[in-house]
Amino acid sequence: MSVRLEGRGLTRRLVDPEPFTLVDAVSLTVAAGELVAIVGPSGCGKSSLLYLLGLLDRPDVGEVLIDGQATSALGDRARTRLRLERIGFVFQFHFLLPELTAGANIALPMRRLGRLGEAGIEARVDELCAKLDLPDLKGRRPDRLSGGQRQRVAVARALANDPALLLCDEPTGNLDSANTRRVIEEFGRLAHEEGRAVVCVTHDEGFAQAADRRIHMLDGRIVAQT
Amino acid sequence: MMAMLRVLAGIAFAHLWVRARATFVATLGVAIGVGFFLAVSGMMVGSQKDFIRTLIDTAPHIIVRDERRAPTRQPALTAFAGDAVRIEGLRPQEEVRGLKDWPAMLADVRAQPGAQVAPSLSGAVTIGYAGRTAAVALNGVDPRLEGRLTKIDETLIGGRLSDLEARPDGLIISRPMADRLGARLGDTLVVTASTGALQRMRILALIEPEGRAGFYAGDAVAYGLLRTAQVLFTRPNVVNQLHVRLTDPDDARLMAEVLEARWGYKWESWQERSADILNLLVVRNVIMYAVILAILIVASFGIYTAVSNSVADKRRDIAILRAMGFSAFDVQAIFLIEGVAIAILGAVMGFAIGTGLLEILARLPLSIGGKPLVLPLDRGLGQYLIAGGASMTAALLAAWLPARKVARVDPVSVLRGAA
Repeated sequence: MSVRLEGRGLTRRLVDPEPFTLVDAVSLTVAAGELVAIVGPSGCGKSSLLYLLGLLDRPDVGEVLIDGQATSALGDRARTRLRLERIGFVFQFHFLLPELTAGANIALPMRRLGRLGEAGIEARVDELCAKLDLPDLKGRRPDRLSGGQRQRVAVARALANDPALLLCDEPTGNLDSANTRRVIEEFGRLAHEEGRAVVCVTHDEGFAQAADRRIHMLDGRIVAQT
Repeated sequence: MMAMLRVLAGIAFAHLWVRARATFVATLGVAIGVGFFLAVSGMMVGSQKDFIRTLIDTAPHIIVRDERRAPTRQPALTAFAGDAVRIEGLRPQEEVRGLKDWPAMLADVRAQPGAQVAPSLSGAVTIGYAGRTAAVALNGVDPRLEGRLTKIDETLIGGRLSDLEARPDGLIISRPMADRLGARLGDTLVVTASTGALQRMRILALIEPEGRAGFYAGDAVAYGLLRTAQVLFTRPNVVNQLHVRLTDPDDARLMAEVLEARWGYKWESWQERSADILNLLVVRNVIMYAVILAILIVASFGIYTAVSNSVADKRRDIAILRAMGFSAFDVQAIFLIEGVAIAILGAVMGFAIGTGLLEILARLPLSIGGKPLVLPLDRGLGQYLIAGGASMTAALLAAWLPARKVARVDPVSVLRGAA
């Protein structure tokens, strides 16, 4: 399997309010079609590593490569474009825009990318809603959806531009067991059937067990991979 | 691009809708600012235009007098240019006052495109009636030609300028002057020139100061027939003024300069004659626009507050949009659109308020000296464009200041904090 995502010696330090190393010389690779779980205690640097891998943050030392392309020298505009085209994010809180309907939230990345016409976007929204079991919900605003539905809308939005890489930060942290199971199955399908590289930060033992690989972190470092 | 703009505008409108009360207050601020801008500027510009129009209509556009701006250069100074020449005991040559070669000047002016000209002889006289006397400036004119140059007829009561043609002893004085003398229309006055010449003249018409709002030459101005004035001043065939009227009054300054260079006499355009008033109008406009722009700037504080609060409230949305692949500029555009939307809505409401205020002002039952007065108002498109443009500029600035902060929002800090 081809390497989709690679981190080489990633280090991220904070200097304010006091010096602190969030991520310390971390190297990892994630292949296409692989579901990887990053686990560890709170504050061990899991989310910080995810933000570095997703080009939301820049490492002080090290390099992130996406499909072999080095990103440290890229400007903000190019990194933004790369996020839009290749990376999808799912967070613990759904982070849907409350003023927009579920369908409009899902359509946002497609409209920003501008590759599809309005009819194409509508068709893609319908396709994602069907795939994530969100029938007849695209016209509802987030406050009219259940927690599980909101998170599935967030996943649909992350998949809107068909990204090769899906990065998730505690995606099941706010879900009940039934919805958690459903999301785990969906991420497994996205990796194994659709060939995406899926990286999930999680505290959920069940989720971690379902992953192809587990990366254990402690104090900003990778201490084990199982 | 348009699809993208629709997306950003959709988010912006949703933000505004969610904060409907703040949006309404900000919009109302702009609307009131624009409305009062239109009302005040409509009144000020309207009165200014009316004033200038009256200034142009009532008096000649160019007046040529038998004066020169500088004394004649002495031949010795020309002959010994550059040498030390000192002239002492110089006495001006005694000469009959009047424009030399005025028929040629008259022909020259008539040859200019869009120009009409009339000769006149003006001088100081004393008028007396029933033991009362007053000094006035008598303008001897050709009624037929002078009538084409000015709209003095609109200010006359009891007769017309052309009545002078039938009555060589006719005189037109101001109504206040007639009141002062106790004379009435048809009464005969004794007119005495500085030469001692004396003539009885009959009042054919009175100039009513309130006959035309704005311009009035003054109480001490009188009109008579040119030939009568020439006899009275013992200056046969002499004129000391030419009155010129142009199709385009704005050409007056340039034409006066050209003809003055050609003929030497003082050719005074209406702009030069009214320079003090025109300068005063400029100062008035500066003050007016400064005050009105200050109102609009204060109104834009509402936009600043609305957009600033929106940026503060939507930090999480800003972070998620940035994570999703929206650039900082995209997100800034959302908040700029919010400001522009408030400005457009406010301007449209302001246009309605301003139009309403102008309508009320136009119907105000005002009067001067018992005569109804309609306020001259400028309701031209230009005022609406200025008001709309100024509010838009102020709104863009007011929205841009808080929107700049979007670029400083660190998505990681926000997402980490939110999580």
